[in-house]
Amino acid sequence: MSNDHAHAPAHVDDDEHNPHLAHHFDTMGQQTASAKLGMWLFLATEILMFSGLFLAYFILRMFYPEMVLEAHEHLSKWAGGINTVVLLSSSYTMALGVRSIQLGDAKKLRLMLVLTMLCGCIFMVVKYFEYSAKFEHGMLPGKFYSAHLHGYEIEGLPHIFFGVYFLMTGLHGVHVVIGLAIMLWMFIRAGRGEFSAKNYVAIENTGLYWHLVDLVWIFLFPLLYLVK
Amino acid sequence: MAKVFLNGQPVEHPHEVHEHISPMSTYNGVIGALFVLTGLTFAVSFADLGPASLTVAMVVAFVKATLVVAYFMHLKYDDKFHLFVFLGTIIFVGIFFGFTMFDLKSRDALNDEQETFVRWKEQTNEGKGLPVGVDNVPERRAKILAEIEAHGGGHGGGEHSAGHGGGEHKAEAKAEHKAAAH
Repeated sequence: MSNDHAHAPAHVDDDEHNPHLAHHFDTMGQQTASAKLGMWLFLATEILMFSGLFLAYFILRMFYPEMVLEAHEHLSKWAGGINTVVLLSSSYTMALGVRSIQLGDAKKLRLMLVLTMLCGCIFMVVKYFEYSAKFEHGMLPGKFYSAHLHGYEIEGLPHIFFGVYFLMTGLHGVHVVIGLAIMLWMFIRAGRGEFSAKNYVAIENTGLYWHLVDLVWIFLFPLLYLVK
Repeated sequence: MAKVFLNGQPVEHPHEVHEHISPMSTYNGVIGALFVLTGLTFAVSFADLGPASLTVAMVVAFVKATLVVAYFMHLKYDDKFHLFVFLGTIIFVGIFFGFTMFDLKSRDALNDEQETFVRWKEQTNEGKGLPVGVDNVPERRAKILAEIEAHGGGHGGGEHSAGHGGGEHKAEAKAEHKAAAH
């Protein structure tokens, strides 16, 4: 490579000296493409994992439509709606964060990461209140179900419905928490000046992950909270 | 200059960054559309659309998902191979859903025809207030109920009530297993 190097056009940046280029890649472009492909493959496994839970929901709905309708009336439409708006907003700020660093503005990236984390935290707080209400009313999965002792009579298999509800929203919530931790990490790394218009694939991948979390919620919300 | 490869293809100008940077107006438009669509599903959920409500909710959700994937996740401008990975996943989810639902929906008719029907239905176990899986073929149901009676009843409903047995032997085995467990 060093032989040809002398003939390279002068305007081409020398990637070999970029401290963020791993030794097993030739260029930053190649490194970025590899990381992104890896992220998309990971997202594929995430989609497949969540699809199993969605299928469980649809099967439950197919066999026990009245029960699902009756049980879902006990979920708060407003809490779910607020969380949808909050999560969509966080996706927006995350996308703007990626755009900022594409333009080389690390300061704005950090601001956008903070806003995104703020939205993620609001989401989890709303979730906390929702879960507390469900715990109080004994609307819990499987053998922990005791809503009938709290004066809520739901015909059929409500303990299965709440099993599906807690597993779907719970796994999604875990993803939100992991996303928050990753964004905090990215915030620290951005503060160290690691990211630039040439090296931002970590931010882009964080964004892809966060948008997937949003994507799952886009389907969870109408299915669990809204559908009649 | 050594040859640089991306996704198995040689790259002409490896040092240039090919990332598309969307203008602010794109992001503002997308988030606006997402909010409007969220408001739409929310409003529609108060109207009584009957069986159409699931279709309406899913269509809106798919439109929202498409917007997020295309613009926020940049798939519209990205390497087409990423789009292939994503759509490939969706196809496999479709196969997963399609075949499972087809099986579950058509199995009842087949079982009825061949009289191998063993569908566990919930029935309240008097006194304990817990649903117990009970076979709906009269003779087998009577047998199982008698066994439950003989062993004091009160099995947890959750693990048995949603199951599907597969034929007479399995049903009997299940009943025996239940009896043995208590």
